[in-house]
Amino acid sequence: MLALETMRGTRIVASPSTLDSAMWPAGAIVLRFAPDDVFVVGGESISVSGDSVIVAAEAGYSGAWLTADELAHVAAHIDWPLPTERPAFAQGFVASVPAKLYLTGAATSSDGGDRVALLLTNTPYVHELQERLS
Amino acid sequence: MSKIVVDGKPVGFEPGDSVAMAVLRAGEHPHHGGTLCLAGDCPNCVCEVDGIAFVRTCQTPARPGLVVRRHPEVGAPPLRVIAQPDVTKTPKQADIVVRRIEADVVVIGAGDSGTVAAGEATDAGRTVLTLDAGDGNEVVAIYGGPTVIVRRPDAMVHVHAHEVVVATGAAELHPVCPGNDLIGLVTAHAAQQMVAAGIDLGVTVAIGEAPPGISCPSLAGSLIRFEGDAGRLTAVVTTGGTTPCDTVILNLGHAPRDMLSRMSGEQLPVRAVGPAAEKFALPPCPAEGVVCPCSKVTMEDLQGVWDRGFNELELVKRASLCGTGTCQGGVCGPYLRSFVADRSGAVPEPFTARPASRQITLAEASADVHTDVFRRSPLHDEHLALGAQLDRFGGWWRPWNYGDTIAEYWAVREAVSLGDVSTLGKLLVSGPDVVELLERLYPTTIDDIKVGRSRYVLLLNERGHLIDDGMVCRETETKFVLTFTSGGAANAEMWVRDWIETWGLDVLVLDQTMSLAAINVTGPLASTLLQRVGLAEPPKFLQHVHADVAGVPSHVMRLSFTGEASFELHHAADRSVELWRALMAAGQDLGIKPHGLQALFGLRLEKGHVIVGMDSEMDSTPRRLNMDWAVKMGKPDFLGKSALARTNELPNERRLFGFTIDGAAPMEGSPIYVDDAVAGHVASSWTSPLLGHGVMLGWIKHQPWPDTVTIDGRTATVAEPPFYDPEGRRARA
Repeated sequence: MLALETMRGTRIVASPSTLDSAMWPAGAIVLRFAPDDVFVVGGESISVSGDSVIVAAEAGYSGAWLTADELAHVAAHIDWPLPTERPAFAQGFVASVPAKLYLTGAATSSDGGDRVALLLTNTPYVHELQERLS
Repeated sequence: MSKIVVDGKPVGFEPGDSVAMAVLRAGEHPHHGGTLCLAGDCPNCVCEVDGIAFVRTCQTPARPGLVVRRHPEVGAPPLRVIAQPDVTKTPKQADIVVRRIEADVVVIGAGDSGTVAAGEATDAGRTVLTLDAGDGNEVVAIYGGPTVIVRRPDAMVHVHAHEVVVATGAAELHPVCPGNDLIGLVTAHAAQQMVAAGIDLGVTVAIGEAPPGISCPSLAGSLIRFEGDAGRLTAVVTTGGTTPCDTVILNLGHAPRDMLSRMSGEQLPVRAVGPAAEKFALPPCPAEGVVCPCSKVTMEDLQGVWDRGFNELELVKRASLCGTGTCQGGVCGPYLRSFVADRSGAVPEPFTARPASRQITLAEASADVHTDVFRRSPLHDEHLALGAQLDRFGGWWRPWNYGDTIAEYWAVREAVSLGDVSTLGKLLVSGPDVVELLERLYPTTIDDIKVGRSRYVLLLNERGHLIDDGMVCRETETKFVLTFTSGGAANAEMWVRDWIETWGLDVLVLDQTMSLAAINVTGPLASTLLQRVGLAEPPKFLQHVHADVAGVPSHVMRLSFTGEASFELHHAADRSVELWRALMAAGQDLGIKPHGLQALFGLRLEKGHVIVGMDSEMDSTPRRLNMDWAVKMGKPDFLGKSALARTNELPNERRLFGFTIDGAAPMEGSPIYVDDAVAGHVASSWTSPLLGHGVMLGWIKHQPWPDTVTIDGRTATVAEPPFYDPEGRRARA
């Protein structure tokens, strides 16, 4: 069973142009949930200017790094075409559970293993996603 | 010789036999009688195979040990009864693999026309996937996309294609006349298969041309009826006379096997080729006999529904059930059209085809199609550890109770209690236009809410109907936190975003529903508990502050749904267990208990607080809910204002009232009687431990509004809520 763990980071909601021009910390994973919504995992400090920009600590997502085999297993539960380019960020249902996939450009992970994708979902869905993928 | 088991008896079969062929080889009929096609078109060979009913045995290879039960001669096979599932647990999926593949062109059918179509597509450089039932790829449906659904022995396969070619050939017509349910009737194709398998057909005659390879006389004249004895054919009667025989081969013509192409509609790139696309002549309209062997519909039945005014093909089908059975019109379809053409004078198109074209099990149909996801709060395991009974509410698993609802109730009324309200919708909205947005969204005033204050709000649609409710908390001049009901949160988020876009306002939205958890600390000792865990000055009623509670950064909102002092602690979801445990530990000597929804529903009902979707209806205006106080019609504008201005001038014919009743409260949903006539129903009910009698909210449609009504055979008094602490002193304490 995939072990999805809490992904702590920062959620930033700002105008698309603000996010387009933002400088992100080195080493951070920047997941663009929507044109005006980004989830930044890792990196030390984040600074985005703007009067009404929303910057909030985010601990509501859980994720797991996947090997190529694990990604293939997950892909078998996806009813939409995976992006072919890399890196890529995709969102949709995985086994009918809302989820997101960050497909890396090269095998990478925090522990240096052979990981090619990050599977992400809201933590309240974790149990169901794990069960359906097991 | 290998054997299968048929109705408890061993039956031998030869290599290559289908189950139907093995049964025929044993001198039996797989379905007690009726014309056999052995091509998968008719229902006359369906049996229960290894526990699965309605299996076409002519398409099922015989395997050693296969257990076959013939369906009853009359009626359907009995349903297997399974143990009552535990409704508090997510149903398990059947272990059926779904594979998804893609192809440029899918060709259904590997016969002559299918082979030609596949060759043409291959020559054009396209990837081609040919699916044929004979190879174990049984296509059962074509959906949008197009997506072709294939049943294989080892999996269900969903093929996403750019084009689908239906090359399924044509089906042989069955006879419709008296006696067509006898044993001994076969189509030409079936006869050839049986002879090839070495089955002796006995004395055989043919109606129409005898098929190649079978030497038998072809009878002159038109078919009138079959005659038999003990269910077996003994003779066939035509206009040319009576001919004794054991077997009649029916070569009556064909109809396109086009269900899959008709299923897909014209908008999809699906086309039929070969015989499946051919326009065969319809058979003559029969005079009598069973036309639909699946549902045992006779020509007399068709005439009956016609005479009752069902004078169109789809109506005749629905009224008679002809075409709704196992073969989905494979046998009866041409005759049904012929009947309607005869009666109406116009040849109707075939009726609509819908998935699935073949019987599939529920497990196959639902393979990899999951039930709705029910979310778990961060405190899910805490609830279980505390003995909670969980149930699904508003898209979440929530504690219904912790084993003693009444004790939970008293903890709220007399001490302090915790409730998990993590499931509430929570939006953070920010921007220079945020006040304008909220003034337009909500029917109450927003601009006068001071920073650090909050207000209860209704959310109305353009018709002035209640769609949700919640709190508006002002964080800064341009930033607010909005809360919504658990079940309404997702729609509310879309609603807010849609209107921001529609109105072109500069407002940013962050949905924190699943990022933040929330614990409601409620009861007369709630402030005491919070002070113990570091909140020196809990906010006053309808105020909110950001503060550390037990070391956990929290947004503390003071409100009340239970009728007692209540503080919602909104905090990061990953700190929720820590906060919950700290509160439970600090409140032990205060008599703290968690409360579930059952107690909460009762507590709020004593206060007369409405639950949207439970007490409200799809067309509930604030006036009907007796909540005009939450609407400021003097505002310049808000969603639903013009509708309310109009409907408020109309007579108020239906309203939500409060009721009290001696003794236990009647069940929710109970009818409410006025003068022996039903005048409404109970929306919520609760037997109040504190008040000692039942309290209810319910709808009344009766003028004049009654003072008393009858519910559950007892007199109930109409009483305006709140039933408890009407001045709201305890909530503000």
